[in-house]
Amino acid sequence: MDTKKIIPIIILLILIVFPAIQLFSNQNYVIHLMLYAFFYMVMTSSWNIIGGYGGFISVGHNAFLCIGAYIAGYYSIMLGISTFYLIIFSGIGAAIFGFLVGLITLRIRGPSFIISSIALIMILRIIFDRWELVGGAAGITLPYNSLEAKYMKIPHYYGFLFLAICAIYLNWYVRHSKFGLALRAISHDETRSAVAGINVRYIKVTAFVLSTFLIGCAGAIWADYLTYVRPNIFLIILIAANMVLMVILGGMGTVTGPIVGTIIFIAFNELILSYLGATELNLLFTGLLLVITLLYFPDGIVGTLKNKGKLPKFLDWG
Amino acid sequence: MFIIQTVILGLCLGFVYALMATGLTLIFGVMRIVNLAHPIFILVGAFAAYYLFVFFGIDPIYAIPLCAAVTALLGAITYKLVFEKDAGSQTYSEMTVLLTFGTAMVLDGTLSYFFKNTQRITSPPYATDAIFLGDLFLPTAQLYSGLISIGLIVALGIFLKFTNLGIAIRATSLSRVNAELVGINVKFVCLFSFILGCALAGCAGSLVSFVFSFFPAKHWEWIAILMSLVVLGGMGSILGVVISAAILSVIASLVGAFIAPAWSTMVFFVALFLILLVKPHGMFGKYLE
Repeated sequence: MDTKKIIPIIILLILIVFPAIQLFSNQNYVIHLMLYAFFYMVMTSSWNIIGGYGGFISVGHNAFLCIGAYIAGYYSIMLGISTFYLIIFSGIGAAIFGFLVGLITLRIRGPSFIISSIALIMILRIIFDRWELVGGAAGITLPYNSLEAKYMKIPHYYGFLFLAICAIYLNWYVRHSKFGLALRAISHDETRSAVAGINVRYIKVTAFVLSTFLIGCAGAIWADYLTYVRPNIFLIILIAANMVLMVILGGMGTVTGPIVGTIIFIAFNELILSYLGATELNLLFTGLLLVITLLYFPDGIVGTLKNKGKLPKFLDWG
Repeated sequence: MFIIQTVILGLCLGFVYALMATGLTLIFGVMRIVNLAHPIFILVGAFAAYYLFVFFGIDPIYAIPLCAAVTALLGAITYKLVFEKDAGSQTYSEMTVLLTFGTAMVLDGTLSYFFKNTQRITSPPYATDAIFLGDLFLPTAQLYSGLISIGLIVALGIFLKFTNLGIAIRATSLSRVNAELVGINVKFVCLFSFILGCALAGCAGSLVSFVFSFFPAKHWEWIAILMSLVVLGGMGSILGVVISAAILSVIASLVGAFIAPAWSTMVFFVALFLILLVKPHGMFGKYLE
């Protein structure tokens, strides 16, 4: 075993035993930050499949988070069971919705696609704000889980950790499979890929569905974690913007890029929050970071280091 | 009678939307940039008009040149800082959309920090007035803003049609390479049309300030509305934008009157999806990309 495999495995083992820290001291905030990072890793790694490899930059991917959260929230209240049993159904629901959306919006690419993804959030926002069955603008309120406050976040921690591992594995698998090769060919030139015998539409829509499934699953856990599902929490542009920014910061179309980007961005965000407080300045700095990254190193951290041949081995997964 | 009333109100709003989208379509035509920061420039214009009115008592209609100057200056700065890069790279188009997205976030954050997300509206004396024509009822605010919008769009059309600079702009939007070949300073044309587009946003902002109530985060809603007009109008065609704005906004106000006001903006978003589904290159069929 070389360092390339050993370091990730060690990190994973540490992450698995980490919640045991709660037995000795109360580190709820650290746990929160870590599960928040896992939550975003699920989304960024999934987004990377369609955005990074496929070249379809969607700034409306939180629509699927919202669909997943609403499915889990609504049925857990109706059936009286925990949202954790509904994770898989949230994922399937989001994937079906993603399939329908993908059929329509993947016909176009470039700027028009980005705009259609913004329009998607707007449409869902209007619908969910007025849909009385799921509570309208007030949304759905879920009960707290019955654990002691100290251990309350542990189920979400493991849930997100598991989903994050799935998402990163899926990302890695797509990067190294024939499917991913076809997808990357499409991102360069659709017509030529079709001439080369690739079923362009099938590949595009499948990639879109793959990228929505785990986001839907994450939505279910996130709904349970926040204990409420509301359009103005889930359907804001900032979540999608964060997602896109994290991937660009780390490096689009790389396996480890979304992970690195997520960690750095969340650290940066915490720094701003602790120095400047939770104001609108947060949005300003997010935008500034996006502009600076795009202008000066569009390949992201992992991509730039890789081009220079300075990428540490354990981050080089292709 | 009620239907005619609704249609007229819809048309007035439609012309304001058309003016809001004209700058966007102009910038797209010349530079191939989808400027997601355009609506926030409109908001900057609206805030300028609001504070000029509150502090100096300047009527928003007379404040149009001042607001245009403010946003033009801001546009020039943004262009110099952000967009002045080689347009040759392959992913230029997509990257610039994200750049404008970032710019919009920066400006949104700045505006929200200084002015907070409260609803504002300028209230000149005519804002609550109305003209009665028989049974028809015409709020003067909508009427004035609609007429001024049409006037400005016509002026822009004349400028593009008959002046040398206007012809250069149209030539660049037809083909960048060929325009360069016949000796047009394409870089200057790009800068000029970006500033012109931003100035138009400022004009629109001044009119918007007394037609809609506005707050800094409102521009995310506007971007989808304006893009639906630009896409339907055929990406880059000004006449297309005016026609599609008139049609969609009349439909929106009919929906608002007969179903529920809350659903009226839905018309624009659904239209955007339907156009992309049926005719991705827009109603007037100009080739995209």
